[in-house]
Amino acid sequence: MNTAMQELINWVTDQVKKAGADSKVILSKQRFVEIRYRERKPDAIKEATTQNLNLEVFLNGKYASQSTPDLRKPALEAFIKEVVENASILDQDPFRSLPDPKYYAGATGIDLELNDKDYAACTPQDRHAIASAIEEESLKRAGEKVISVEATSYDSTYEEYVKTSNGFTGSEKTTYFQKGASVTIQDEGDRKPNGGYYVGSHIKADLPDSKEVGTLAAYRTLILMGSKKIPTEVLPVIIENRGTGRVLNGFLSALTGQNLQQKRSFLAGMKGQQVGSKVFTLVDDPHIIRGMGSKHYDDDCFAPVRRDIVKEGQLLEYFINWYYSRKLECEPTTSWPSNLILPPGTRSVEEIMKDLGRGILITDFIGGNSNSTTGDFSVGIIGQLFDKGQIIHPVSEMNIADNHLKFWNKLAEAANDPWLYSSYRMPSLVFKDVVVAGI
Amino acid sequence: MNGLIPRRKFIRSAALAGGSLMMLPYLKGNTMILSSPVNGYFLNEFGIDETLCRKLLSKALSRGGDFADLYFEHTLSNFIGLEDGKVNRLYGDITLGVGIRTIKGDQVGYGFTQELTEESMLSVAATAASLCDASATAFTGKFNRPVLADYYPVDPMLIDIPAKSKLPVVQRINERCFALSPLVVKVNAGFSQDVKRIMVVTSDGVMAEDTQPSGYVYASVVAEKNGRRETAGWNLGGKRDFSFYTDEVVEKVSAVAVKNAVKLLDAIQPPAGEIPVVLGPGITGILLHEAIGHGMEADFNRKKTSTYSTMLNKKVAEPFVTIVDDATNPNLSGSINIDDEGVPGKRTVLVENGILTGYLHDKISAKYYGVEPTGNGRRQSFEHYPVPRMRNTYMLGGDATPDDVVKAAGNGIYVEDVSNGQVKIGEGDFAFYVSQGRLIENGKLTAPIKDINIMGNGPKMLANIVMAANDLEMFQGGGGMCGKSGQGVRVSFGLPTCLVKSMTVGGTQQKGGAS
Repeated sequence: MNTAMQELINWVTDQVKKAGADSKVILSKQRFVEIRYRERKPDAIKEATTQNLNLEVFLNGKYASQSTPDLRKPALEAFIKEVVENASILDQDPFRSLPDPKYYAGATGIDLELNDKDYAACTPQDRHAIASAIEEESLKRAGEKVISVEATSYDSTYEEYVKTSNGFTGSEKTTYFQKGASVTIQDEGDRKPNGGYYVGSHIKADLPDSKEVGTLAAYRTLILMGSKKIPTEVLPVIIENRGTGRVLNGFLSALTGQNLQQKRSFLAGMKGQQVGSKVFTLVDDPHIIRGMGSKHYDDDCFAPVRRDIVKEGQLLEYFINWYYSRKLECEPTTSWPSNLILPPGTRSVEEIMKDLGRGILITDFIGGNSNSTTGDFSVGIIGQLFDKGQIIHPVSEMNIADNHLKFWNKLAEAANDPWLYSSYRMPSLVFKDVVVAGI
Repeated sequence: MNGLIPRRKFIRSAALAGGSLMMLPYLKGNTMILSSPVNGYFLNEFGIDETLCRKLLSKALSRGGDFADLYFEHTLSNFIGLEDGKVNRLYGDITLGVGIRTIKGDQVGYGFTQELTEESMLSVAATAASLCDASATAFTGKFNRPVLADYYPVDPMLIDIPAKSKLPVVQRINERCFALSPLVVKVNAGFSQDVKRIMVVTSDGVMAEDTQPSGYVYASVVAEKNGRRETAGWNLGGKRDFSFYTDEVVEKVSAVAVKNAVKLLDAIQPPAGEIPVVLGPGITGILLHEAIGHGMEADFNRKKTSTYSTMLNKKVAEPFVTIVDDATNPNLSGSINIDDEGVPGKRTVLVENGILTGYLHDKISAKYYGVEPTGNGRRQSFEHYPVPRMRNTYMLGGDATPDDVVKAAGNGIYVEDVSNGQVKIGEGDFAFYVSQGRLIENGKLTAPIKDINIMGNGPKMLANIVMAANDLEMFQGGGGMCGKSGQGVRVSFGLPTCLVKSMTVGGTQQKGGAS
């Protein structure tokens, strides 16, 4: 840990203690650079460094959390005083406290490789070269149909230190690299399909070549040309790997301690019950090397634990943080998953499509929402209508809707293509008998 | 002026705890922070004077930029929340910094810093300038302070009212929600507020300041009957002061939330597919925001990526359709005295009598099109450069009555409340999520419906607005946020009751009842 930051975080903790309160302090610094190319020149260059101190105060069951970018001690003295005073006027809540320190123990000491040691060697020229190469390739691949390509290179380095007044200290240093492009092309009439391809990782070398990114950005846009909607019917759908989180989030939100305790969860009381098909298995694994959700401690500073959340359709675990575990009178787990894994299958999307007959490969979503209280969801889809493995035409202005308790029972197969550029390491998923609304 | 600017104070936070005077000991003797005049806040509090601004602009233009601007921001925000009958959480945040932008043609160089020291700011200006590779002479121009209208006169600021005074408001919402129906089993309530102080200094000679307050109260209710639970919520607020949050407002927020949650206990899913849609007045204006507003933001049109980029001055709707984006509505969330490029807030007509008449411009697009900026250059914070954004977007009322509009729909759905929306700019395809509505059967409102996504295409939808009632209503909530390019800004919407001939309704039942 940086000595100056360590000294500061210790000092803040001591000051809060002197004011008669417990505390959790997070001190963070971030630097990022973003370069975007359009029309073969830099369209935007953005660069900055930020810092922040977040202070949570626990004063005999009273709680306030405030943040400030001003890290000078005179300023922090006033800030601390104010946060404590703010907490003091609130209602006492018997469930509000720092976690039991026993949950801090057992964190992995291994290097999760979340920090690229070569970050400092990134030059402005490298960043320009990445964005420029992606744009060039997208322009080439999209050909005469192209209206606009915006290619981006982004990288950041983030460092944080955490200390609680009851014994936890921790730190995390991560880097993040992202590159990709957004492509717009001319279709019939006034229609201008927009697509793209973006990938991100902690380690720069884990990203694909810029030419490949540019090629895929163009390809994923060109396949949107000539889209139309079809009559409403019941069809099998395949949700492409990178988009599965959009629907899965509606399910996950009902697993949180807050929604369970606040009677806003359709999954309340269903632990141990079947909530999906045998294909539906979810594992929360915080220790994957270079994983986008990997961590050494969670939001409560708990040592993260690998957990089976759903196994072959049976619900095994909720996401319950310290505060709601006390309200629910149960053991805490964690506030939110780290890396979420649904075990991949053995077949590619193309192979699966051949066996499905007529269906829709969903490549993107638009709008929509999910009701955590009832499990009802409805979301717009963009994708490809296929029949026996052959793409018929792209579809748009269409929608799928269901209830999660029914929908995950329709999960028939997982493809062999987990998307590793996200904390949701999900493969493409096949659902049967989904009402797809159109004309 | 090296190191810390001498007059800079600590960064004051918000929602000071109690007492009648919102002043902590370290502030005593300096009441300026609490009652700063609009002009002079950044000079008084952080020592940002014209000489320093010239120096920063000179640095930002030092490599040959066409234009540069400085955006100083000091925002205080906080939220107090109630759960299980207790006001048991307070969250606060401070945003302070400056963003410096250099423009060359349509290229943008941008940097920002949280440290308002000359050294740090000059470094950021150099970052912004790095976009260019020529040289230039120092900026020596004069600054003019535009005379601004005040669309949200508030005194004192909501955030300067002690948090202790706001606790009873939240507690009353909780009490009223439980009192209004025995079916209510859980209530969450909250009071959110912030004040954003900004100063924009530009190389074309503008030095403008504004103080932009915001706030709202909300109730979120779970109702239960026969083992079925449903959730609904409501909020009211805007750019207002504490006097707005009366017992009447408490009652309205509570009553709407409870009524809607209870109604949902009997709600059904409508048939899926293309059917007529009647949009009730008010918050349903999100339809315009998604279906036309974003597509009319001029950056998309300048880059020719919007479906509307070839439709200027063409007929896009029936003659009774006039759509406006407006910064001047008193106290609404999207109202602004100046935008984040220093352009005074204005009323901008997008569609007039069915003809597409203009785009929403920032300074880059205005220069590209050779028109005056419309005051739509907005940003979330100093960490972002401005892009064209909406403010309060609404359609003017028509001649029909609301009942006539529902009757004309025949069989379809009636939308009362929506929670979110999204648009694909190039295709014009949009979606919005209906959290409350009713079936229309034989021209009459019948069973409640819920949780459906409605899809459409902007230009087609505009052409399909076949009837509008005389009941234009603006959404008076304070929680409306619009996201674009990773930035959120406050907006509002409005709509009269109107009939769209056909849109795709996403449900779980096929027409005819098969599921």
